[in-house]
Amino acid sequence: MSLIKKAVDWIDVRIGTREIVEKELTGYLLPRNINGWYSMGSVLLFAFALQVVTGMLLLIYYVPDADKAFKSVTAIMNDVPFGWLIRMCHAVGSNMMVLALLFHMLSVLFMGSYKKPRELNWVTGFILFTMVQGISLTGYLLPWSQLSFWATTVATNSASAIPVAGPYLVEFLRGSPQVGPPTLGRFFALHVAVIPAGIAALIGAHVFLLKRTGVSAPPFGLPETMNQWQGDSYSYEKHPGGIPFFPHFALEDMRSIAIYMAIFLAVVFYDPYLFFPKDAFIPANPFVTPAHIKPEWYFLANYQTLKIFPNELIGLSLQGAAMTFLALLPFVDCGRERHPLKRPLFMACSVGGLLLWIGLSIWGHLS
Amino acid sequence: MDNNSNRRTFLGVCLGGLGAIAAAAVSWPLFRYLAPHSGGDAAGKVVIPEKDVPEGEAKFFEFAGSSAVLVRKRGGDLVAFSAVCTHLGCIVQWEKDKQDFLCPCHGGHYSADGAVTAGPPPKPLKRLTFAVAGGNITVG
Repeated sequence: MSLIKKAVDWIDVRIGTREIVEKELTGYLLPRNINGWYSMGSVLLFAFALQVVTGMLLLIYYVPDADKAFKSVTAIMNDVPFGWLIRMCHAVGSNMMVLALLFHMLSVLFMGSYKKPRELNWVTGFILFTMVQGISLTGYLLPWSQLSFWATTVATNSASAIPVAGPYLVEFLRGSPQVGPPTLGRFFALHVAVIPAGIAALIGAHVFLLKRTGVSAPPFGLPETMNQWQGDSYSYEKHPGGIPFFPHFALEDMRSIAIYMAIFLAVVFYDPYLFFPKDAFIPANPFVTPAHIKPEWYFLANYQTLKIFPNELIGLSLQGAAMTFLALLPFVDCGRERHPLKRPLFMACSVGGLLLWIGLSIWGHLS
Repeated sequence: MDNNSNRRTFLGVCLGGLGAIAAAAVSWPLFRYLAPHSGGDAAGKVVIPEKDVPEGEAKFFEFAGSSAVLVRKRGGDLVAFSAVCTHLGCIVQWEKDKQDFLCPCHGGHYSADGAVTAGPPPKPLKRLTFAVAGGNITVG
């Protein structure tokens, strides 16, 4: 014990670790009425770290070559000891991360935490959301199965609806007129290097903004004692008399992560193929499109929108408009009121939008 | 105070134990995933037609996941070795004119019998067993 204390003292006198702990952990006060939804960010950080670790492990055996990719994934699943576990954790983890991200966004939305002075937190979070969609889409191709191949064909082909530049953009995305070995190379580079680096940088920006602005207080629960931002100059939103991040809220974070892990491991061990249709087990064949090819569950609403509108450009434009509206929400919804029940128009629009998204997804799944 | 302290110690030990079990549960699959695969190659035999190894020449081939060599010495005797230099693991080359092996990495020399004749190799080349039957040489 004394050896550990000596080591801590040795470091402390050099870089002042105790001061950092006091400032960033034990003395970092959060609103008294903070709730469990505020730990979704930590859950997401944990989920992303898990994806990075399992992804690095998969890189040891995965071969990003169109002739060998499917075989290498099959070998990971069948021949490499515990390869199935690593791959299932990565595949299930990607779906679970999207789910956790949606819950995080919904909690921010309904508690009005996106409102000023936190517009930039929302915008960086929204870009992170699109990047997570991007990393999921690019990762989808890597097993080089029928599902991968044709889902990517459909997804990349959507860009062809853009007037003038569309067809060139599709070819640029694919690296060739059709999805093929050049597409695998591009998507592999995007999936393992470009997008993860972007996500890591944006997570840094997101957390930096959170630390500079201060944690928002929920609009309900115990009365809060925060110093409200007035808008004239920068001021950190303190929560005097609040609860310390460590150990109090760190335990709340741990609890949320434990719940996430319980659900995650339940899927991995009891229903590992929940997110795998049968086409995921057939090697890619560029000459045979399987029947009923569908995207991942979180793209089903987009997929169904494209099916509803016979004109692809209208379908894409609508999706683009919806995404732009969501991205700029803090600049559209400028009122100070944050309690959801005191914002009937907001509640009607957001609940309606959510139901529409769920409805389109179910329709897309069943159609 | 004592009760509190005992309870904290007890909970700490329980938590530490659970943490250790969890760490082991994660580490074991991870170790197995990363550990090199054994078996497979080791049991394999390689069959080479006798005519592929003329007198005074050597035939290199893959054996047990590494490189091996068959040599028919002048006079007709056959020998088989691992082609891995015993110094630092490079693959030796057959010098037909000198009838010996040269390791290109650090200049080790071996005779056609695999014995070290010059340079840093500490041991002779590892001999491999083989059998000749029906015009074929079976190594391993």
